[in-house]
Amino acid sequence: MLRFLIKRLLLTIPTFVALMFVTFIMLRLVPGDPIEVRRGERGIDPARLEQLRHEMGLDQPVWKQFLDYASGILHGDFGTSIVSKTPITHEFLTLFPATLELSLCAGLLAILLGVPAGAFAAVNRGKFFDQTLMATALTGYSMPIFWWGLVLILFFSNTLHLTPVSGRVDLVKFYYPQHTGLLLIDSLIWGPKGAFLDVVRHLILPTIVLATLPLAVVARMTRSSMLEVLEEDYVRTAKAKGLSPFRIIGLHALRNAFIPVITAIALQIGSLLAGAVQTETIFSWPGVGHWLISSISRRDYPALQGGIMLIAIVVISVNLLLELTLGIINPRLRHDQ
Amino acid sequence: MKTYRLISTAFLLGTVLVGAAQAKTLVYCSEGSPENFTPAINTTGTSFDAARPVYDKLVEFTPGTTQTQPGLAEKTDVSADGLTLTFHLRKGVKFHSGVNGFTPTRDFNADDVLWSFARQSDDKNPWHKVSGGSFDYFSDMGMPDLIDSISKTDDNTVVMKLKQPNAPILANLAMDFATIQSAEYADFLMKKGTPEQFDQLPVGTGPFSFVDYQKDAVIRYKANPDYFGGKPKVDDLVYAITPDASARYAKLKAGECQVMIAPNPADIPAMMKDDTINLIQQAGLNIGYLSMNAQKPPFDKPEVRKAIAMAIDRGAILKEVYQGAGQQAKNPIPPTMWSYDKDAVDIPYDPVAAKAALEKAGVKDLQTDLWWMPVQRPYNPNAKRMAEMMQADLEKVGIHAKLVSYEWGEYRKRAQAGEDQMALLGWTGDNGDPDNFLAVLLGCGKDGKPNGNNIPKWCDAKFQDDVNKAVTLVDQGERTKLYVDAQKIVDAQVPWVNIAHSTVFEPVSKKVTGYKVSPLGSHEFENVDVTE
Repeated sequence: MLRFLIKRLLLTIPTFVALMFVTFIMLRLVPGDPIEVRRGERGIDPARLEQLRHEMGLDQPVWKQFLDYASGILHGDFGTSIVSKTPITHEFLTLFPATLELSLCAGLLAILLGVPAGAFAAVNRGKFFDQTLMATALTGYSMPIFWWGLVLILFFSNTLHLTPVSGRVDLVKFYYPQHTGLLLIDSLIWGPKGAFLDVVRHLILPTIVLATLPLAVVARMTRSSMLEVLEEDYVRTAKAKGLSPFRIIGLHALRNAFIPVITAIALQIGSLLAGAVQTETIFSWPGVGHWLISSISRRDYPALQGGIMLIAIVVISVNLLLELTLGIINPRLRHDQ
Repeated sequence: MKTYRLISTAFLLGTVLVGAAQAKTLVYCSEGSPENFTPAINTTGTSFDAARPVYDKLVEFTPGTTQTQPGLAEKTDVSADGLTLTFHLRKGVKFHSGVNGFTPTRDFNADDVLWSFARQSDDKNPWHKVSGGSFDYFSDMGMPDLIDSISKTDDNTVVMKLKQPNAPILANLAMDFATIQSAEYADFLMKKGTPEQFDQLPVGTGPFSFVDYQKDAVIRYKANPDYFGGKPKVDDLVYAITPDASARYAKLKAGECQVMIAPNPADIPAMMKDDTINLIQQAGLNIGYLSMNAQKPPFDKPEVRKAIAMAIDRGAILKEVYQGAGQQAKNPIPPTMWSYDKDAVDIPYDPVAAKAALEKAGVKDLQTDLWWMPVQRPYNPNAKRMAEMMQADLEKVGIHAKLVSYEWGEYRKRAQAGEDQMALLGWTGDNGDPDNFLAVLLGCGKDGKPNGNNIPKWCDAKFQDDVNKAVTLVDQGERTKLYVDAQKIVDAQVPWVNIAHSTVFEPVSKKVTGYKVSPLGSHEFENVDVTE
């Protein structure tokens, strides 16, 4: 197990270095200067521009800039935002809990609905439920997030008045300490009466929007994996032994079908974070997705580079954790690789 | 920051529990997070709006106008030669107490004024480099070349000496970069070893004091009961940061905010019909234009430039590109600005006459470029579509325009360098003074070379004399005559095609009273009330 862990850890190093390099180069290839882009019509005096570029180190050769950047990261310094002049790590840690909370809720919703729905569809293969579910999953898979979010807001918030339009909490009614940044926890422990329910109400629409794509993927993956498992000899044996359908599916088939599903869920972490970029913009959700988008338009190189690297660390860590979990569940995986 | 947040939270929590029933809150749906809370080091309207509730300036813009009124200086004397400004400061003005653990021990005085200007003008000042040390507006408005010295004669009198007379100086001092900050708070933080907090946790004298800021989520302020202009009508002011315009509108409809910035043009018709919303509109202090490079033939001939102006159907552009949210421009300055030449006759759309004029000038089958900006701007919502429409119009009179665009920073740089033949661009005013349009956009230096922002690269001696003289005069009547004359020269010479002044829309809940739209694009809430 230790060898497996070390091997996996070592494999993350080239991934991390490659990502660091690609992010850096890609940003340098995007046209636009971070200083000039902020100046709009006014322009800037060439001498002043040179001075500012020098102060920011942008006049250095690209390779030197990259080495400085890489060395900073190795020392835990992800730089300082050109716009807000605050350390990137501070900005990231301020905003990440909001993204984490939303992504966890969306991931959970996708699993809680997707797995049973996929399993049920597989058991009822070709029947009405299966066909409806697969059609719905395909729709969910191809749903444009921005449009979907706005439709939900117009229907549930503006027409039925059931949910708030956007944000994480009612800004007028509730104001309480935020210790963890995860408002479900903060409101439950430190919030006044009603704050927790208000946070839940604010989470409903963004969670649905963000969960739509992973839900479709999980349901489809569970279905196909289940179909494979249901053909296995041991399932037939279980049926021949007269076990109840609940035991056959719930205990034997689903458990074995779960391995590719967990892999699919792991792959959805990236999708969740990508989806969060749009979801956060529609729902004014103060997370890292929206932060990165605004950093692009402002050409805030340090925020973009640092933000992407920090997100990469999260994604790589979670994937590593899932691989280790899979390794524990299924020892064959440890020995195969 | 965290400690402060906890303290302020505990304080506010107590306040909420005690007075929740009575507290009146105004929620403003803003569009983004501020860079920080010191306007002198910022350049965006979003950041200025976020700092404005907290601070005052020596001179203020009268809400809803571009005229100035007394601010922290209750009276300003200008010497007969226009070279000395004496500011008589208000007495008894208090800085906010309790923010970031700071309790002021004295009232606002001349030291705060000197400190605020020294930070920007003196690169040896220990605060100059804090938070980046870039004071763009101070430089852009020409303050380093204008101010000779600033000194105090006593605690309540500040004397500013200028190197040359400058009429717009008071309007400049009403701009956000000239905000007055607390020298005592600066000392407090320097001793504490956290100078960077000065720009993040603001202490001012303004109508609202800062409570809390959560990036991309919310900014909270509470009414300043000691405000020299009287306590604001609402108790709490909340900026709900809502980047998406459709979401802002949805929040306004749902009553989650009462004022919103920048609606989607597509939502305007629905807003007009909405019983719960007052859609306030005002001509923006801006101009969108098509520049023709007067240093490149055949655009060096005024008759060619005028023919091009006649060839372009601006009425159609207004309908299609601005979707009615604009006003056709006939002058280089907007109609809300004093000295606007009301008698100017607009150039009519007449492609037949345009073609004849071009032939007379010897222009036939002209190949040219036509640049369009890759970004949406307040004065031009869709430059690409506008350029396409112009291209089609020009084709009808025998001008074959090739559409060109660059990345925004590159576009502006190349246009300023005069690389274009024809280019779309525009301007939004800073201080409501005609000099900020005419001299900045069409002015030339003493060497007869066009200024950087003079995109048409057009220079005219008489025009330059007018604007140079007008900027030195104090009397607004005299200045108006000169600016009207300058506009007539521009109208005759047509260095650019005046396209439109866009309309600014501000959707406000009908529960809100006392809100005034600023022609300068700022948002102020000290006189705003909310009814239940």
